Amino acid sequence: MKTVVQCEVNGEPREALVDPRDTLLQLLRDRLGLTGTKEGCSNGNCGSCTVLMAGAPVCACLVLAGEAEGAHITTIEGVADGNDLHPVQAALIQHGGTQCGFCTPGIVLSAVALLAETPQPTSGQIRHAIAGNICRCTGYDKIVTAIAAAAAEMQAGARQ
Amino acid sequence: MSDQAVIPLRVVGQRLPRVDAGERVTGRAIYPADLVRPGTLVGSIKRSPHGHAVIKSVDTTKALALKGVKAVVTGADFPEIVPGTIIPFGETGADLWVSALIVMARGKVLWVGQPVAAVAAVDEHVAAEALSLIEITYDVLPAVASIEAAMAKGACVLHPQHTTKGFEPGAAIPPNIGSRTLLERGDAELALTQSAATASIAVKVYTGHQGYIEPHACVAEADPQGNVTLWASSQGAHQTEIQTAGILGLPQSKLKVVPLELGGGFGGKITVHLEPVAARLAQISGRPVKMVMSRAEILAGGSGPPAAAQVSVEVGAEADGRLKAIAGRYVFDTGGIPGTPTTLLMQASAACYQTETLRLEGMDVVTSKPRTEAYRGPGGIQAAFAVEQAMDELAIKLGMDAVAFRQRNAAVTGSLMPAGTPFPSIGLTTILERVAAHASWRDPLPPGKHPRGRGLALGYWRGTSMTSAAQLTVAGDGRVMVTMGTVDISGTRTTMAQVAAEEMGLSIDDVHVATGDTKSSAYSDAAAGSRVGRTMAAAVVDACRDALGQLKGRAAERLQAPEVDVTYDRGVFRAGGNGGTAASITLGELMRQTLTDGAIIGRGVSTKLPFGVEVGAHVVDVEVDPETGQVTVLRYTAFQDVGRALNPTAVEGQMQGSVVQGLGWALTEAIDYDADGKVRNASLLDFRLPTALDVPPIDCVIIETPVPGVPYGLRGVGEMPIVPVAGAVANAVRRAIGVRVTNMPMTPERVLAALKNKAGNPA
Repeated sequence: MKTVVQCEVNGEPREALVDPRDTLLQLLRDRLGLTGTKEGCSNGNCGSCTVLMAGAPVCACLVLAGEAEGAHITTIEGVADGNDLHPVQAALIQHGGTQCGFCTPGIVLSAVALLAETPQPTSGQIRHAIAGNICRCTGYDKIVTAIAAAAAEMQAGARQ
Repeated sequence: MSDQAVIPLRVVGQRLPRVDAGERVTGRAIYPADLVRPGTLVGSIKRSPHGHAVIKSVDTTKALALKGVKAVVTGADFPEIVPGTIIPFGETGADLWVSALIVMARGKVLWVGQPVAAVAAVDEHVAAEALSLIEITYDVLPAVASIEAAMAKGACVLHPQHTTKGFEPGAAIPPNIGSRTLLERGDAELALTQSAATASIAVKVYTGHQGYIEPHACVAEADPQGNVTLWASSQGAHQTEIQTAGILGLPQSKLKVVPLELGGGFGGKITVHLEPVAARLAQISGRPVKMVMSRAEILAGGSGPPAAAQVSVEVGAEADGRLKAIAGRYVFDTGGIPGTPTTLLMQASAACYQTETLRLEGMDVVTSKPRTEAYRGPGGIQAAFAVEQAMDELAIKLGMDAVAFRQRNAAVTGSLMPAGTPFPSIGLTTILERVAAHASWRDPLPPGKHPRGRGLALGYWRGTSMTSAAQLTVAGDGRVMVTMGTVDISGTRTTMAQVAAEEMGLSIDDVHVATGDTKSSAYSDAAAGSRVGRTMAAAVVDACRDALGQLKGRAAERLQAPEVDVTYDRGVFRAGGNGGTAASITLGELMRQTLTDGAIIGRGVSTKLPFGVEVGAHVVDVEVDPETGQVTVLRYTAFQDVGRALNPTAVEGQMQGSVVQGLGWALTEAIDYDADGKVRNASLLDFRLPTALDVPPIDCVIIETPVPGVPYGLRGVGEMPIVPVAGAVANAVRRAIGVRVTNMPMTPERVLAALKNKAGNPA
């Protein structure tokens, strides 16, 4: 028996018909066509499906679609303002923080959430914030550098 | 060929961002699982629950009757492919029989998770129900799910028809051996008895995994005239085409493989897995079929993991440290189908050292486990885990510094490689000088709460060259478009745009590089074996020069000058020979005037380029908690000779990623098979990949010793830096706590067991 879920995704009201067994990940990818959110393990272990619910990072594969009723969700498609990139995205490009790119959307959202809470994170805090996002290509080094650079960039922007 | 290090380079060697990074950070990059075709069905696989069994019957009647099921296939829906069906593939060709059995079992199942049937249905829930309705009866046979079980006297033989090659006549051959290789120079046994010091070690490496984050996925579509299109995430579109066409019995003219983004491969996406099944389901249903493996499927038989191994090594030296002998026995688990080669990894493990004598014996053992597949320098890390520990122990016995011992015996340009041929240009001695002088080796190890140690290990990987093709066309505004026959595995579009910009005298923004599909690009071997950057660079250089030759003819006509007097530099053709200032025309203007005279098509093919052998050294500091056995990696420095870094950011990315993969297998990653071949940890919670918290920053030291005869002197980059990792960590652990951990991964319980063993057997 399918039901209608209404929620706000990237600032826009959306609704979709979902199966009770569907996850938020399936809602986003299969019903709403937002395929930027990736499925890597469907078990909450890899973080590829990280999205923000009310600003907090969650694994979309661990949330049932029904639980998204009334929620405010941010996916990778809603991070940049058109082609005006978030500093985290720009820094990942600049510092070589994306290789195959499959984990990148999840990393971006974890980092965006971190910097919203902790504008001047230490490298330890950055590593902690992305510890739930497994990257198999980069060894994390350039991701950590990029997020630190984005934080510095945002601080500099805030001072202006 | 470029004149190496003579012409200053403008674009090659720059730290330019990836040309495709924008689509990656915004979620716009399309991987096969993201592709939506109208009316797409979900394909799903029914897998064997047994490690070894005869398939007595498969009844798909109930599944086919389920509403929403559009197609069901079994082994009977694919043509019979016999062992020894060789297809063109890399250096030696490949046996299509192996790919065919990985795709779908025939007659019997050889590992848990091997496909037995598949369905296509309107959604994943219906597909899952349909799988449960497929009725299969098995005659279960004994499984042999480890090297020991497979080689034990009287073990059940998995391939009774297989003939084991490589043993001397009359030798007692253990059961389930694929083949044996022996490489011998001099009398190593005698040399060991004559050595002033010897060291030996026997290690056991458990099955790891490539751990790409993107699960295997593809979409297939068949049109009413029999044309099949396959959107794939693969390390080689042309390899996917040749395997898929062969397994389906389809002419290659009827199959187009379109490579979409590849979310990590590391060797595990060369062989086809889902692709022929999706294509057959699409042909039968007349609808597009998408297949995506779950992580549990990937870890439990759906994909080919790297090989488990048992390696024993004995080395001996004179009192002055000069190496007299390396004797090694390399037993590698090939999984359910014979044929995993051991020759290259055996040679690699000994290649960094000059030795008077050598005896290397290797064999692959068939077990009731998934057929092993490549993983970043296949077999290299397993073998080096043994050899580098033995070398380190020998240095300790000789009372020599670990670097000094390596310097005493390091291979140099022209010294004998294990195979007996002279080494091409290598910079190992330069690397060792840099290590000896570097802070990572010279800085005193700061004391910690627990014992700490510093380890060193060397690595070597030959890599391969094979063939790569590129074509180059020039647009009406003089901008350049390159289509490659390979996929982009490590930033290839970016580095090849750098090469084309360099050769065409343009900016990287004036170049577009595309990964062609199999109907718009020419045959290139897979993105594997550290070959794509080097060999595609050679092809792109070739294509640029071909196009420039054609353009020069046109420019000569426009400038009304003899062609020999026309020169080209940074986008401008000039008449009047070198330094001539008479008439000139820009590339853009030339193309505006002559585009409609006919296309410029530059052809580039590189074949059998000189090997870009990779060498490196890794230094690691660890702390070992003697209460828990936990090994913490404190500092890591990787030194590598890359010939020339096309893009240092990309090179560091390869090195850092390799090291962290190596740390994962060295310390935590292992697939846990029970005696029947069932996997007990098929999730990324229990098969534990390193997180950002588990690893320190990885410092990279890039050394550039060019390879003669290769554009820019490029070497391979991507595979070598995983090879020394586990050996380096093991050597650091030994220096910290005085014991050798011989089982990999070096989990806390194994470290504790080694400590306990030492306490029980005081030296």
